[in-house]
Amino acid sequence: MSEGHAAVGAGTAQGDGHTVVGTAARRGDAAPKVTGGARYSADVRLPGMLHAKVLRSPHAHARVVSVDPTRARALNGVHAVLTRDDLGGLSPTYGYFVKDQPVVAIDRVRYVGDVVAAVAAVDERVALRALELIDVVYEPLPAVPDIDAALAADAPELFEEAPPGVVPPYGTGASGRLRPRRNVCYEFRYETGPEDAWAECDHVFEDTFVFSRMNHFHLEPFVTVADVRGEQIEIWTSTQNPFPLRKELARVLQIAENRIRVHVPYVGGGFGAKHNCKTEPIAILLSRMAGRPVRYCLTTEEGFLTLSQHSAVLTVRTGVLADGTFVARDSTVLLEAGAYSDGSPLVAEKAAYRMPGPYRWKRVESSCECVMTTTTPTGPFRGFGATQSTWASESQVDMIAHRLGMDPYDLRMKNLKGLGEPFVPGESGIDSDLAEGLDVVADALGYHARARTPNRGMGLAIGFKDGGGVNKPAQARVKVSTAGDVYVNCGTVEIGQGASTALCQVVAEVLGVPLRRVVYAPINTDVTPFDQGTNASSGMTVMGQAVLRAAEAVRAQVLEFAAGRLGCAPADLTLRDWAVRRGDEVTPLPGLIMAVFGGTGFEFSGSGFFKAPNSREAPLDAPCVFWEIGWAGAEVEVDPDTGKVTVLQLVASGDVGKAVNTLICRGQDEGAAVMGLGQALFEEMRFDDGALLNGEALDYRVPMAEDLPERFVSITQEQGHGPGPFGAKGAGEGAMVPVAAAIANAVHDATGARISALPLSPERVFDALQAR
Amino acid sequence: MSEPITIEFDLDGERRSERIAPNTVLLDLLRDRCGRLGVKASCERGVCGACTTLIDGAPVASCGVFAFSLDGASVETVEGQGSADDLGPVQRAFAECGGFQCGYCTPGMVMLTTALLREHPEPDDELIRSWISSNVCRCTGYQMISDSVRRAAELAREERG
Repeated sequence: MSEGHAAVGAGTAQGDGHTVVGTAARRGDAAPKVTGGARYSADVRLPGMLHAKVLRSPHAHARVVSVDPTRARALNGVHAVLTRDDLGGLSPTYGYFVKDQPVVAIDRVRYVGDVVAAVAAVDERVALRALELIDVVYEPLPAVPDIDAALAADAPELFEEAPPGVVPPYGTGASGRLRPRRNVCYEFRYETGPEDAWAECDHVFEDTFVFSRMNHFHLEPFVTVADVRGEQIEIWTSTQNPFPLRKELARVLQIAENRIRVHVPYVGGGFGAKHNCKTEPIAILLSRMAGRPVRYCLTTEEGFLTLSQHSAVLTVRTGVLADGTFVARDSTVLLEAGAYSDGSPLVAEKAAYRMPGPYRWKRVESSCECVMTTTTPTGPFRGFGATQSTWASESQVDMIAHRLGMDPYDLRMKNLKGLGEPFVPGESGIDSDLAEGLDVVADALGYHARARTPNRGMGLAIGFKDGGGVNKPAQARVKVSTAGDVYVNCGTVEIGQGASTALCQVVAEVLGVPLRRVVYAPINTDVTPFDQGTNASSGMTVMGQAVLRAAEAVRAQVLEFAAGRLGCAPADLTLRDWAVRRGDEVTPLPGLIMAVFGGTGFEFSGSGFFKAPNSREAPLDAPCVFWEIGWAGAEVEVDPDTGKVTVLQLVASGDVGKAVNTLICRGQDEGAAVMGLGQALFEEMRFDDGALLNGEALDYRVPMAEDLPERFVSITQEQGHGPGPFGAKGAGEGAMVPVAAAIANAVHDATGARISALPLSPERVFDALQAR
Repeated sequence: MSEPITIEFDLDGERRSERIAPNTVLLDLLRDRCGRLGVKASCERGVCGACTTLIDGAPVASCGVFAFSLDGASVETVEGQGSADDLGPVQRAFAECGGFQCGYCTPGMVMLTTALLREHPEPDDELIRSWISSNVCRCTGYQMISDSVRRAAELAREERG
């Protein structure tokens, strides 16, 4: 273990009787990934496979007057051209709550990069040449480059007619609305507590924060290989949610779900981007037209034109008592949704809902609107609204502390919720000791002993989000062969997070077999049990509970079977190394099984299911499964001549409850924290009048190893309060969420300058220093 | 388009002869003609390093090299460094230390580390950081990759005896 990591908390206790859980077991995907043998959707090759490319709009906003594919179709090597004239019989728009994104442009294009037509040809070069032969006539319309332009009274309406949309059921205090005003596709509101709480406040502070937009920059591009044969559609695709994808594809294609088989090989990163329809509809439609398999793989540049994080403007009004006690908070969030709604309404729910942060309030009001602009659509991104809300909330907490003459640490400690205290009425209790976590990070940083050196300072922040998704069901199956070889069959996608290994560890622990005997089955929606998606840090707390129950069901069956054969009670037996033990007597199972089922043997198979119970009391219709908390502390040095911020130390920590695999948990926190570091300092999709300026790898800077702070420490907290197997919680997002605010708070501590917009670029910091 | 040309080169220790269009890029040759799907295609701008291979021992982004320039050269990919049941020392180190997550940058990182350790068998932390800064990993935050490189140096030392 390197010096850059530590593990603390009750959950780390040795001698807890576990043999597989709580170890740094080698991942099941290690050998394929380090040898180059791992196969991703990008590697799928089928006989006769064609290659797809798409024509993209050069206009930010235009009416599509005509699309003529005649010349493209005539090009040698072209097998299919898809335009709006080929959408007959389909329900040709998709989305989450709002179905507004067309498979290819129908009446308008709404951003530079919007898909107008698609070609399948013998190779990508021919497909690209064919795109030049598609004749499109546009009638340009005024662009809507940003939130201000979209909300202006005379702004052009991006959707003149309301696209189909739904508002999901909400519980107490929460509500949603489609198209509340021009160019807003969705609004979410939440409120709780008495309005007259504001009257108690000695001070009310209102501040506005700006959050910049990152690209996911997953290294495996968006890619789908589709093979349509008659009525059967088979795809291999780089997705995080194969089952909702299948449902959406069936709706778009107007066919039965069981005609679509989705395979998910290894996924080369997603960070939220790879949900719902991306490359899939076009690959399928081209394959259907051409009668041959089609591979549709985007370039990195096209990835920038497909989905990104939400930029946001967040206004927070906070009322406090003179002694710093928090009383009321009213937050207004504007998320930039881009040209199509994608997951924006869901992110809006969370951005608003999480605005109170981990603190006690008498009154909370939050709203979030998704504002449509003529830019790349925005959607799920690691943090899912919490990165935005925490940026504003945790920056403002420090500002309030300084206005009251308090240390920000003390102000946080004064107002943090206690362990077990519900987040809001009807919600589950907070399952981390928030104060303990803050102390872990403050101590590791040396916060309390910091010297007052000019231009150097420290800052803290607490990232806060509900984890495990909303009302999310998961099913799993575990089966064991005669010889004791175990399969785990579930829909959690191995996207790098290590879930395939950690879930196998849970099963190995329950069944008393070595980890190497447990295999994670590939995902195929025809046979894999249902799962809502690999997101919301839900792998261990939601699917983990389903997998645990499936393994326990198998164990119960095996023990019952063996007890029947041995003439004892199941409770008299224990299961280890695929033998049952009663006292000193060890009976191997294969012989027992074959004595009953014959020499060809048998498989024991158990199912498991988990879902948080529905509740009308819970604002989001079901209580949160677990609370994903991330604590961060930063020490910075600011160059007063250039505004350059150097992060000297970054300490980031998540509470995983119990680390099922210690290496995997560490990796989740460190990867998340470094993504937060990029967000804080330099990562940003830059637009000029709605045109993306840096949409490629050369110009868009992601953190490299040389960007790591001199001292970067991740701390895995295992506080032991999680709802998942063995006390586990989720991981993967929490440690990203507080990093930007911690660094901005450190910059203020160092210089007295408050930067309320991201990223903390030298220009922005320099300007703030001048304005002091 | 100009006439195809024939090149001969060593690929992971085996002599190969390929007839290629002059504008063929090494990455495409390796993936599409030589079946080396372990070499990953990502940014295709020579930035991310996912396609890193060694040409005559030097790490190179194979998306930025014309295949014709390989005539007579030796090319090494991740697939020549070991197999699932017989991992090479660098591969073992990445597996043990968890120096990978989604795995898409891993073949490139393994090759980069292989080249580093041949040139500098005892790299210090600064040298490790400087070398791996040529490739992007979006998942790990790099610290566990640095651990893997240090461990690979140890394993290589043990192998040398």
